[in-house]
Amino acid sequence: MCLQNFPCQEVERHNKPEVELKTSPELLLNPVLICRNEAEKCLIETSINSLRISLKVKQADELENILTKKFLRFLSMRAEAFQVLRRKPVQGYDISFLITNYHYEDMQKHKLIDFIVQFMEDIEKEISELKMSVNTRGRLVATEFLKQFI
Amino acid sequence: MACFERASPALKDILLKLYRAEKPMEIDHQLYEFGSVQYHIQSSASDPHHTYLSISTPLLSQGALLPDKLSHATIEMIKGVGSNAVDIVEPAKEGYHLTLRLNFSKIPRDKDSVKVITQISAMQAVIISYQLKEMLQNVNSQVTLHGMHKPIKLVYHPREPFFVIRQPQKIIAVFPMRFKENSDVIIATAFFQELMDVGSSQEWAKAPPCIWSPIPPPELRGETFEDLSTNGGFVSFDIYSRHVEGKRLDKTVWSLLNFYAYVKSHVKCTRGFIQRRMRKRLESLVKVLQKASSEEEEEEEQFGKDQDAGCNYMRKLVSLSKSKILKRRSYGVLSRKIKRIRFRIKIHGFGRFRRRWLRFPKFSSSMGYTKLD
Repeated sequence: MCLQNFPCQEVERHNKPEVELKTSPELLLNPVLICRNEAEKCLIETSINSLRISLKVKQADELENILTKKFLRFLSMRAEAFQVLRRKPVQGYDISFLITNYHYEDMQKHKLIDFIVQFMEDIEKEISELKMSVNTRGRLVATEFLKQFI
Repeated sequence: MACFERASPALKDILLKLYRAEKPMEIDHQLYEFGSVQYHIQSSASDPHHTYLSISTPLLSQGALLPDKLSHATIEMIKGVGSNAVDIVEPAKEGYHLTLRLNFSKIPRDKDSVKVITQISAMQAVIISYQLKEMLQNVNSQVTLHGMHKPIKLVYHPREPFFVIRQPQKIIAVFPMRFKENSDVIIATAFFQELMDVGSSQEWAKAPPCIWSPIPPPELRGETFEDLSTNGGFVSFDIYSRHVEGKRLDKTVWSLLNFYAYVKSHVKCTRGFIQRRMRKRLESLVKVLQKASSEEEEEEEQFGKDQDAGCNYMRKLVSLSKSKILKRRSYGVLSRKIKRIRFRIKIHGFGRFRRRWLRFPKFSSSMGYTKLD
């Protein structure tokens, strides 16, 4: 993660994250795609002044699917609280981070990386816990309903 | 319907207030519950002994047949509720199915008074439950289809019909499930699967077996396409004679009538639970980032302090050297003057000798430069 300030080459006095615009190929590095399997992958796109990390989270069944969508949409809508989170994920992925040179200057690099790794772990853990909680609640409610017949 | 407690809480509250009032009260309340049940309570100071309660409730209909009044058996059953304190007024008030005249003076002033008032408040539930019981008892007269009884379509809410099919040794209640949102469908499907798992376990062998399927059961073959098109599948309960014996009949009927409401309540509560969990997790995730930023700020402050100390020292060092230079210059001029005054005897070459051999040794300065870390 080596980012530096780089003003826009096309528009005067503008400073834009080049990884989003992709207008100047000389400012972009080769994207890296890390796949655990077909359902889980991570795309890292880098440029001179910005970095974009996109994640696709594992969704085993329909319940995990809706829980993941709900949760990640909830977080994306509150992206300003996270600063480095993108409001809309990149197409084909569930959540995206956009780190610019300004974030790099304000925050420590190793802390930023730790945050992203911990975020990924927490998301998976939270979705598993949510699924288990929903099933447990369903079981309790079903038990209470059937008690009425006895 | 759509009320898990049989007694209407608002109606019970008003009736208790009237019962406990020391002076006669003028009351004219209209209550609406769940969009389809209507109560009208009237009490006048000129007739303090009587209160009039009118009830309008959507009656269970069998498909296209819409009943407009209560059956004789239902009316007889209502007379049995509330003992002497309740009389049926005929005809009922316009726009209502039933009007009751309540005499609070005939309700005993002991612990049973609350029980009686609760029974009166639960009149609507009693009417609906008795209707279903009557329909189930009269199923034998229905037309048979391929040796089986034809399904009876019961419509309480226009968009939520359910079917009752009587078979030789059991009654099957089939509920077509429909939901507005896809996420509701998935949450409900997870609930139905848990219902099937719990019902099929040894512990719950006494409960009616429950089956969920995404396609209509074979018993509903021949029904209209509108009734069979769902997005939440079909839930079937097999009711045996042991589930309708004695007091269990009432509970079973009430549970079946409230099944839709139960499922929708569970789905709504689950959505609220998911939302609360997400908010909690959001707070914990944001804290991690804030912690990282605050640690950075703390380190910057510390670095800033160190830098200031170094700058001050440098400033001192620079100021010292300047003053030293100035002092040297002024000192040199002054010292030469003093020397000229003091040393009046001039010896040729002595100055050179003095400069070389009679100098005081210079000591190194204690103020050294401290390297900044």
